[in-house]
Amino acid sequence: MLGAAAAGGLGLGTFLQPCVADELAKNDKQVLLIWLDGGMSQLESWDPKPNTEFGGPFRAIPTSVPGIHVCELLKHTAKQMHHLAVLRSVCTQDNSHSAGVARINRGDPKNRGVEYPYLGSAVAKLLGPTSSGMPPYIWIKPNSGGFKASDAGFLGAKYGALALGDGKPPENLLLNKSISSEEDELRNELRRKFNDRYAVGRRTEWTDANSYVYELAQKLMKRDDLFDESSFTDKDRQRYGTHELGRHLLLARRTLETGVRFVKVNSYHWDSHGDNFNASESLISQFDQPFAALIEDLHQRSMLDNVLVIVMSEFGRTPKINSHVGRDHWPEAWSIAMAGAGIRKGVVVGKTNDQGTFVEDKPYDIGHLFHTWFKAMGVPPDKMEYDNQGQPLPVAHDDCGPIAELLV
Amino acid sequence: MNHRFEVMASPMTTTASQRVIRRLKALKAYATLIPIRLLPVEFLVSNARLIKLFSTTFDVGEVSVKRYRLSQKVVCGLMATVMIMPVLHADERLLPVRMDELVAAGFAGQQPAPLADDAEFLRRIWLDLAGRIPTSDDTRHFLDDTDPDKRSRMIEQLLAAPTYAQRMQELFHVVLMERRGDHEKWKQYLHNAFERNKPWDQMVREVLNPDPQDENRRGAAFFYAKRIEANGQNPIDHPGLTRDVGRLFLGADLQCAQCHDHLFIDDYKQRDFQGLYSVYLNLSAKNGPDIPAVTEKPMKKKLEFISVFDPTQNETGPRIPFGSEIPIPEQGKDAAPVSMLALLASELPTAQTALFRKNIANRLWFLMMGRGLVHPLDLHHSDNPPSHPELLDLLASEIVAHQYDIKWMLRQLALSQTYQRSSRYPIASANADSAAASMNVEQVRPQSYLLANEKRMMAEQLLHSTLRATGNFERLQQATVDGKPNAELTELTRRFVAAFANEPREPEDQINPSVKGALFSLNDDLVLQLLSRRSGNLIDRLLAMTSDELLADELYLSVFTRRPNNEERNELVAWLTKHNDRREKAIANWAWSMLTSMEFVVNH
Repeated sequence: MLGAAAAGGLGLGTFLQPCVADELAKNDKQVLLIWLDGGMSQLESWDPKPNTEFGGPFRAIPTSVPGIHVCELLKHTAKQMHHLAVLRSVCTQDNSHSAGVARINRGDPKNRGVEYPYLGSAVAKLLGPTSSGMPPYIWIKPNSGGFKASDAGFLGAKYGALALGDGKPPENLLLNKSISSEEDELRNELRRKFNDRYAVGRRTEWTDANSYVYELAQKLMKRDDLFDESSFTDKDRQRYGTHELGRHLLLARRTLETGVRFVKVNSYHWDSHGDNFNASESLISQFDQPFAALIEDLHQRSMLDNVLVIVMSEFGRTPKINSHVGRDHWPEAWSIAMAGAGIRKGVVVGKTNDQGTFVEDKPYDIGHLFHTWFKAMGVPPDKMEYDNQGQPLPVAHDDCGPIAELLV
Repeated sequence: MNHRFEVMASPMTTTASQRVIRRLKALKAYATLIPIRLLPVEFLVSNARLIKLFSTTFDVGEVSVKRYRLSQKVVCGLMATVMIMPVLHADERLLPVRMDELVAAGFAGQQPAPLADDAEFLRRIWLDLAGRIPTSDDTRHFLDDTDPDKRSRMIEQLLAAPTYAQRMQELFHVVLMERRGDHEKWKQYLHNAFERNKPWDQMVREVLNPDPQDENRRGAAFFYAKRIEANGQNPIDHPGLTRDVGRLFLGADLQCAQCHDHLFIDDYKQRDFQGLYSVYLNLSAKNGPDIPAVTEKPMKKKLEFISVFDPTQNETGPRIPFGSEIPIPEQGKDAAPVSMLALLASELPTAQTALFRKNIANRLWFLMMGRGLVHPLDLHHSDNPPSHPELLDLLASEIVAHQYDIKWMLRQLALSQTYQRSSRYPIASANADSAAASMNVEQVRPQSYLLANEKRMMAEQLLHSTLRATGNFERLQQATVDGKPNAELTELTRRFVAAFANEPREPEDQINPSVKGALFSLNDDLVLQLLSRRSGNLIDRLLAMTSDELLADELYLSVFTRRPNNEERNELVAWLTKHNDRREKAIANWAWSMLTSMEFVVNH
C-alpha cells in the first residue's frame, strides 16, 4: 500500500534537517483532545478554593497523589490523578466565544495575516497518519458529521477533520454493491498507474494530495467496524455512561485503538453564566465518569505512554459569582489538564492566588502549551516550520517555549 | 488602447498566402495573432465595411487602413485573402505579446516549459471557456486540423458559443456567492450579463445598486439579499457584507479593520471599513416570494466608531475604501431620499479606483493562469505586492481602455504563450535526465508561470465533463415533458456540489482533494451508473467498436481529450483480452480509473 509513502511524502512539514524527517516517520504518538466548548469552571474542577470568598459550595477532595486536591465533582478522576498533570497557571488573551474558540484551537500564534490550523490539523500535517494508515484527524461530535475543512486553515482542506456526527459513519463509506473487492483493487491499481504517469514532469504536490485522500478513503472503508456501537460490552457502557459524552469518549477509545493519529471529542454548552453550581455538578459529572474510565483503560492497555490526552476549553470562569449565581468568562487564571505521552505523571504545575483570581507565579499562554504538546509528541518546534506557498511559518508562537515542568 | 493596423488585401493564391504566413512567423510568434481569412469579395467593397468587419470580428480596436490594394474590378467574382498586419511600435504591440515579455522577464534564467500540444491546449481552453471538455469528435477534428491558426479560431469559437455564458454564469456565481446558495433570478441575471458581454463596471454598478423595477437587473439584488438575510438569532451580517464588497470588488480584505486599523497591513484603516459599513448598516433584505430585493433607509448622520486600542471617538460618512469621505447629501423633506447605494455604485466601480481595475484584471488573470499576480486574490496591499507589478498595471489599464470588456480580456489572455504553455516539462529519455528535470520541477513556483499552473475543476466543470466523457450529457440535458430539469441531473448536481465544492464562504481558489470526494468517486451509485451500458453512451459506443485499437482511441479521446500513446493502447488491449469474459465491466472499470485520475479531475 501507499500509506507509508503518502505519510512520508505529505504528512510531514518542511524540515530544516532531513534526519528529523526520518525520526518522525517512526513516530507513532497519538493525541486525544477533549474540547469542552465554552469554559469549565476551574474552581469546580482542577483548582478548587473551598471556604474562600469565591470558592463556591463544593469541597476539595484528596486524590491518588498525596497533597494534590481537586474538586469533589471529579471524584472518579481523583483516583486517576497519578496519571495526570494539571497546569493551574493558564492565562490567555480572549474572553469572547467568537474569537476564543479559534484562538485557543490555533495556539494563538503571532498574526501574520494567515489562518493557522487547529491543533488536530496541525498534527495531521506535521505527523501525518500513523503506520496504521488511518485518517490522521477524526472528530467525534454531537449532531452532524461530514468533512470539516475549516479546522485546517492555510494548510488546506485535506488536513481538515473527518467528523463522525454522533459517532455515525460518513457518506459513501461502504463499497458500492456493484463492485467486488477484487475489482476494487484492480480499478484502484489502474488509477494509481494513471496518476504516476500524469505526475512525470509536473510538480507532484497535487497528485500527492489526491493519492493521499484516496489512500485514507480506502483505509476507512476497510474499518467500517469502527462505527458499530453494538460491539461495546455492557460493562464498558456502564463505566463510560450512556450519555453523549460518555458514548463519544468510548468511541474515542476505539478510534485511538485503530491507530488514528489525532482524535478530537467535543462537548458543548459549557457556559454557566447562570446557576453555575447546579450546571457544573451536572456537566462536570458527565465529564468525570467517562474521562476517568478512559484514562484507566488507556493505562491498562499500555497506550497511555503513546497517547497524549488533553482537556481544554476556551477559557476558565470568573472567580466572582455574578448576580445570577453564575460565573462568566475568565481567561486570566484557569487550568488545563493533560496526561500520557511525554507528560509527567501526577503533578500540578503553577499556582493561582488564594482567591483564584490571578496567576501567582509565571502565567502560561496557549502558545506555551502548543510548544509543550509538540515536544511531548516528539515534534521539535524549533526545527520545524510550515511552508505556506513559500512563506515560512513557525508551528507555534515564536515568543513562547515549552513548559519544562510538565514534560518528562 | 487601440492598435493601429496595416491592412493589405489582395487576391492571392493559397500558396502565396501560406508563404506570407511563414514569413510572418519568422518574425516571432505574432503570426498566430494575425487573423488571416479567406473572405468572399462582397465583404471587400469598401474600406468602411472592411474596417467594421475586422473590428467586430476580431475586436482589435480601431483599424486604420494603411494600404488597401484592391479594386472592385479586380476582385469581382473571386475570393480574396485579407491580411492584417499589426504595426509594431514599442507600446502598441499586441497585448498577449507584451504580457509574455513581462512574464519572461521574471524567469531569471530558468527554462519555461514548451507550448502545450494541441490536445493539452484544447482541453484547457474548453474547460476555461465552455466549462467542460469537448466530445471525442470535436477533439479528433481539432487534432487533425492542419490550419496553423486553429488555436485562435478555437478561442473565437468558444467565446462566441452559447456555452460561454453558461460557464461564466456558473463561475461568477461561485466567485461572488461562495456557495451561500443560488436563486433563479440571480442565475438569469448573470447569464444575461455574460450573454450580452456586459462590461464589468456596469455589472458591479448593478450589483451595488440593484434596481427592483428593471426585469433584467433585479436578480442582481441577490448578492446583497442573501448576505443579509435573517439567520436565526444571529445579528444581520452587515460586517460580512462590507467585508465581501471589499474582497470581491477591490481585492482588499478589510475584516481586521472593522475594530481597529489593521495591525499588519498598514494600508487597511478602520475608517475604510467603517465608511463602507456606514452605507450597509442602512440596508435590509426584503425578499419577495420570487424576487430577491433589498431596501435602504436614508442616511441621516455619520457613523461613530472607536478603535479597540484607542478610546478616541471617530466618525465617518460614506467612503469608498482608500478614498476620501463622501459628504452626506441633504435629505430634503419632500424630495425622494438620496440613495447611498446609488452613490456607492457611481463612485466605486470606476477607473479612478485603482484597486477596482486591478482587482478585475487580477481575477481574470487568475481564472486563466491559475495563480493571481496578487495572491491571495483579496490581499492586495503594499506589503503583499504583485509578483509582476508592471504586468498588473498593464492589464488594469488595458481593461479600462477596453471598457471593462471581460470577453476581450479573456481572449487576450488565451492568446498568450503564458496561457498556452504546457503544464509539464518534457519527459527526458534518459533516467538520469528525467530525475534532474523533476528535481527542477519541484522548485518551480506557481507565480513564475514557467509551467502552466494546474487549476481546480469546479464541481460543475467536473460534472459536465464527466457527463460528456461518459456520453450521458445529451440525455440528461433534455428537460422533462413538463419543462423541469431532468431529475437525475438535479440529483447529480446536488451530489457533485456536496462532494467537491468548498464549504459556504470559502473561496474555491485552489485544488482541494478530500476524503469526502474520494469516497464519493469510489462508491456513489449514480456516478457508477453513468458507466453502465445505455443506448448511445460511452460504454455502448465502445462495445460497438470493431477493434480494440479503435476502442482505445475512442476511450482516450472521450475521457482524456487525447489519443492514447502506444504503451497505453497496448495495455488496454491486453486488459480487454485478459478480462474478455466480462468485457463491459472491464471497459467500465478502465474508464472509471481514468475518470478518477488526476489527468481528468484537474484542469491542466
